[in-house]
Amino acid sequence: MNILEISNLHVAVMDKPILRGLELELKPGEVHAIMGPNGSGKSTLANLLAGREECQVTAGSVFYQGENLLVMAPEERAGKGLFLGFQNPVELPGISNVRLLKEAFNARQRHRGLPAMDALAFRDHLDQRSKRLGLSGEWLLRPVNVGFSGGEKKRNELLQMMVLEPRLAILDEIDSGLDIDALALVAEGINAMRDAQRSMLLITHYPRLLDLVHPDHVHVLMEGRIILSGGMALAQDLEKQGYGWLEEVAT
Amino acid sequence: MSSALHTYQREFHDNSTHLPGWNAWQIRRSRQAAMQRVMQTDLPTQKLENWKYTSTRRLSQTPYALYTGGCVGLYLEDLDPFLVDRQASHRLVFINGLLSRRLSCLDDLPNAVQVASMARIADESPAMLSPWLEPVLTGHDQGFAELNQALWLDGAFVHIPAGVQLIKPLQLLFLTTPFQEPIVTFPWNLVIVGKSAQALVIESYLTLGQGAHFSNARTTLVLEPQARLEHLLLLGESELAWHVGSVQATQKEGSRLDSRIFAAGGELTRQELQITLAGAEAECFQEGLFLAGRRQHMDLHSWLHHTCSNTRSRQLFKSVLDGHARGVFNGVIRIPPDLQNIQAEQKTANLLLTDTAEIDAKPQLEIHSDAVQCSHGATVGGMNPEAMFYLQSRGLDVDAARLLLIQGFADELLQTIKPAPVQEWLRQRLNQERNLP
Ligand SMILES: Nc1ncnc2c1ncn2[C@@H]1O[C@H](COP(=O)(O)OP(=O)(O)OP(=O)(O)O)[C@@H](O)[C@H]1O
Ligand SMILES: [Mg+2]
Repeated sequence: MNILEISNLHVAVMDKPILRGLELELKPGEVHAIMGPNGSGKSTLANLLAGREECQVTAGSVFYQGENLLVMAPEERAGKGLFLGFQNPVELPGISNVRLLKEAFNARQRHRGLPAMDALAFRDHLDQRSKRLGLSGEWLLRPVNVGFSGGEKKRNELLQMMVLEPRLAILDEIDSGLDIDALALVAEGINAMRDAQRSMLLITHYPRLLDLVHPDHVHVLMEGRIILSGGMALAQDLEKQGYGWLEEVAT
Repeated sequence: MSSALHTYQREFHDNSTHLPGWNAWQIRRSRQAAMQRVMQTDLPTQKLENWKYTSTRRLSQTPYALYTGGCVGLYLEDLDPFLVDRQASHRLVFINGLLSRRLSCLDDLPNAVQVASMARIADESPAMLSPWLEPVLTGHDQGFAELNQALWLDGAFVHIPAGVQLIKPLQLLFLTTPFQEPIVTFPWNLVIVGKSAQALVIESYLTLGQGAHFSNARTTLVLEPQARLEHLLLLGESELAWHVGSVQATQKEGSRLDSRIFAAGGELTRQELQITLAGAEAECFQEGLFLAGRRQHMDLHSWLHHTCSNTRSRQLFKSVLDGHARGVFNGVIRIPPDLQNIQAEQKTANLLLTDTAEIDAKPQLEIHSDAVQCSHGATVGGMNPEAMFYLQSRGLDVDAARLLLIQGFADELLQTIKPAPVQEWLRQRLNQERNLP
């Protein structure tokens, strides 16, 4: 069964059509990359999948593990293993990273019908992952995203993904704002999470991350649709030539 | 004259000789003068600008009875939830406004530190009180503070001598045990922190049980040069209680006051804060958190007077209003002409959880000097939808996400409180008293 199956998807934001007939299929274990010009609707797709209310579906369907995703509340999607790493994650003053992670993790346990992990075991689970991303113990006590640098926010999103171990991870520009070392850490983190069951959708503007992650497919989103799909070579072509040459393909 | 004032006046007249310090002319005169002034103005009504949003009908018409003593059989164990870690603090306990020596504990106070019943000091050494009988620099308030000045029955007298550091927090617990007939208490507290001395004082107003009562409290804080005082005020009385309180602080040069107020209880809670920065390099940091639900009414009126150059103040007041709760914030910052190098910052943030909750927030900057760095900001709003979506996308359902955001909003003020046992205790009290989802 496909993890994700999007057919003929039309989405509007504030009555403005953004996605217009998008098709996409993800199989278990696959990593797909989506590239596309600014404003082409990549984040709109990501937000829609996570359940943001402002994204109105005007036509089409989205199935997640065989179930109609569009009728599920955002927390239900998360409970079933869907994770969105935000392009611009919001600041949460007064809520520490560790508090959020604990709440989110326990919500996931509840959803799976499992008991909450005891405090020590969770600490362990968390420490292993935060160390891998170079986020120290003090980091965990800081309020979520408050005063974080751009790169820190991205690493924090990835930390959440690594703690929550989703079935489908959508990472919206997880590589933007990262320095070279951080990019390597993030790529390592992503690769460590890859397995035969877990699928990922990486939204990015640069082939640098893709060089380290080797996605199975690369898609171009333009004019509200996937207009072209290919492998790593496509990402390299885009890096060299930009999107102009694709305008014909689109129309 | 309002009927309540009539009752108070009669009490004053009939029982004046029992009032603490009546035999000392200074105290007697201060009481009489205050009574006279309140008789002239009457208790405040909504016609006064400062009381515009606050209905005083109940306070001016209900004749609460003065509690003058009598047996309340309480054990120390009964007080447990109301006390900061017993081992880690000194405490004075007032039951229905009167000191209970049996429940208080001042075992290991440093030498020369005085912590005593105000009533006793007034009777035994009235001269110690004479400099502080009248509001020091702010002038007379109309109404309830005057009533307190006329009728106070007890309270805490605290004197930290120059150079002394009080390591453990000192808790002043005002616990009311409601009776059939609603009572009123009139505590007056005086805290004097000597030159370069240091202390943390926790003033807490709580109710044992669920009855109606009225607390009319007044606290005078005096910070001598280079003194440091942390003053933490917790208002967490029963949902039928009314609380009108005023804190007046005078700060001399180089002193620092950290004033924090946490209000969660009461049907009506009104607190006034008057702070005067009267010496160079004096600084004052104020924070406040107001949690109101149901039909609670919470009122904060703050006056910050910079009367000297090179002084600094920073204020952050937050409220969370649920149900039909009503909040009022009035924050005056007053800077007269010719002062140099003043910093003043005022921020308020108000979280409204329902369409029926309401806040009237009014910053009032009366700045007549140019050499001022002054900023202020006020926000009023509901839940941030971005934050809600973020939390839901992490698996939290709507209720859990809301609760976490409310806690986070409040926690910004709670998490800086030290020492840890005080923070822990305060969290428990607020969880207990607040009526939020
Ligand atoms: N709330 C909104 N109101 C109006 N227009 C919106 C709103 N949200 C998104 N849009 C518009 O939808 C279009 C697609 O935006 P989206 O964020 O999905 O682009 P993107 O492909 O992620 O771009 P980028 O590469 O810059 O991140 C843009 O034109 C954007 O201005
Ligand atoms: Mg985007």
